[in-house]
Amino acid sequence: MNRAESSTNRNVMDRRTVRGLTEAAGLLRAPQRVIPLCYRLASDELRATLEYRHLYSYAATSIPSADALRSVVGWMLDAQRPDGGIAAYYSLLTGYSESYPEVTGYIIPTLYDFERLTGNPAARHAAYLATDWLFSLRMRSGAFPGGLRGPASDAQPSVFNTGQILQGLVRAYVETGNSKTLQGAVAAGDWLAAIQQADGSWTGFAAYQGTAHTYYSMVSWALARLAEESGESCHAAAADRNIDWVLAHAQPSGWIDGINLRGHPAYLHFIAYVIQGTLECGILRRRDDAIQAAAKSAWVLLRKFETHKRLLGTYQPNFKGGQRFSCLTGNAQMSCIWLRLFEVTGDLRYLNAALKMNEMLKQLLPSKGRRGVLGGVAGSHPIWGAYQPMRFISWGCKFLADALMLEQRLTGQAETKFEASECA
Amino acid sequence: MRVAILCSSPYSETGCAVAARLAQVGYVPVGALTLPSWDRRTLLRKLGQWGLRDSLHYAVAKFAPGKTANRKQVLNPYLERSLRHGEGVYRNLREVGRVHGFPVVTCGDQNSPRALSQLKQWSPDLAIFTGGNILRDEVLKIPRLGVLNSHLALLPEIRGMSSPEWSLLCGVPLGITIHFMDSGLDTGPILLRREFTSGDDCEALTDLRNRMIAEGIELLAEAVAGLDCGTISAVAQAEREADRQFFVMHERLKAVATRRLKKGRLNTVAGRCDG
Repeated sequence: MNRAESSTNRNVMDRRTVRGLTEAAGLLRAPQRVIPLCYRLASDELRATLEYRHLYSYAATSIPSADALRSVVGWMLDAQRPDGGIAAYYSLLTGYSESYPEVTGYIIPTLYDFERLTGNPAARHAAYLATDWLFSLRMRSGAFPGGLRGPASDAQPSVFNTGQILQGLVRAYVETGNSKTLQGAVAAGDWLAAIQQADGSWTGFAAYQGTAHTYYSMVSWALARLAEESGESCHAAAADRNIDWVLAHAQPSGWIDGINLRGHPAYLHFIAYVIQGTLECGILRRRDDAIQAAAKSAWVLLRKFETHKRLLGTYQPNFKGGQRFSCLTGNAQMSCIWLRLFEVTGDLRYLNAALKMNEMLKQLLPSKGRRGVLGGVAGSHPIWGAYQPMRFISWGCKFLADALMLEQRLTGQAETKFEASECA
Repeated sequence: MRVAILCSSPYSETGCAVAARLAQVGYVPVGALTLPSWDRRTLLRKLGQWGLRDSLHYAVAKFAPGKTANRKQVLNPYLERSLRHGEGVYRNLREVGRVHGFPVVTCGDQNSPRALSQLKQWSPDLAIFTGGNILRDEVLKIPRLGVLNSHLALLPEIRGMSSPEWSLLCGVPLGITIHFMDSGLDTGPILLRREFTSGDDCEALTDLRNRMIAEGIELLAEAVAGLDCGTISAVAQAEREADRQFFVMHERLKAVATRRLKKGRLNTVAGRCDG
């Protein structure tokens, strides 16, 4: 380890210590949170002690998906702040965080999907407010800032956040037809294309930790989506270049290298980002190489889930062992990936695994509790796991909502297809 | 031919039926090695597989036989012929062992040194696996000819769990395969492979599975006799790719499989099941 890496790791440790102390102090400011915290700690401890996952775990439906979906979307609507942005998380120690531009952006498509599925006008209204708030954050370059939006926020442009917000802007344009929204999206796409490296990666000042990451395939997905609406070939070309770069990191084991997060393990959330971005971009750009690479990776994780009835919270390269907690967001993302692979390939084993994964996630949703807890997706299970400990996180809710909506759509389609073949 | 039985529990109906059927056709086992009946994992798995009601029914049938009629003492009615003994039915492997004179040994793990030593002591030509642990190579190598398994689907098309259900869903003909076990999952050489044609009037997946289990036991007996007489030999499976592996099916897909079963459309392709 060189001196620069050692210094970065020290900084990460220092930041974690400060964050931990700040969060603990939050409990002193709001002692009413002690009871929900103790309840959650006790219930997770009990479940971790008594639970034994057998072959038939999650093979039956215990909670209707429609109920779970309403509950999860309810959590996201509750998490919308007065400024229109959506909080990153609800901490059992400090309560709601400030609005978070990145997740606010990519929750917008989820809100519109929910409104289309259920006709719930509150979700559409929330998406309007979120889009307006995001526009207030636009930088002159067309980029969007990173981090949480707080009063003392010193805005720095961020590739990843811009990409994730782009997802929301493109969808908002599709839903509203507002040309100003498309202009904002195109400006963000132009900025992303302009600062992309020749090899297709994003690195430098606007990349997290200044280095290139394969999970920025999520940005390629957003650019590919934008290209469909803007019709501009530069956005499609930028997406293709990045996917080429990502695919150059694919290993024979199915693992896609290059997550490159110094000071953090490779959480399932980031592994799933790599796969999801590659898959979705591959679908939009009609690239079999990308779809195949994503499918190979997703299949390795499917086998692990089916065999062990769980996915680890982190993995070492080539899917070797990792930490034993569950990263629930990563699980929900894997469910989305398997469902999409079922849609693309027709292989029923992807649908089967996703149904079971959704069942597991539904069972972990709090069915009672205060605002911020009820219907929320915890960062980790048990709640003290290493990923976003003691928090219910908005992007976990977003991915679970996506997975449940995909489940409803695809199981409906599959059943209709089977019925048609039976009647033929 | 010296045959040993490997079983998941002394109360396993399939284990009892295999041992009893082999004895009926002249191949009295040299011994049976079973996991304990009160193993926590087995109990939880069975609860998950059968649900509370059927698990209770099973427990009552096995442990309080005086209160139930013979036919209710057998969960799988198609095994009654193999399990019938005088006026009653065999309720556990020990009863079969007592009648036919072979030992039944309980071990915590079929791969444990104790299990290995017991199997070596019996020195079997052949072992028949009816349930239990995933067997390691050391165990698989002890019987001179190998360890046989009855798989409830055609191999190599459908490997792994919920195989009759996946056969229905994937449009693969229902079938049973008797194969030698190797280190892979249902990848060993095939002795007998036969389509199952008696499922057309089945109304439920449980009924189908029960019929297939009973048919599988007949095929096992046929395979043992064939091996003994040298009239059959094993053929390696054509492919070993892992992507023929299937896993426990979710109930929503099972519902579709049930509909296909009821409509009797067992051989039409409706879903894709390859990677």
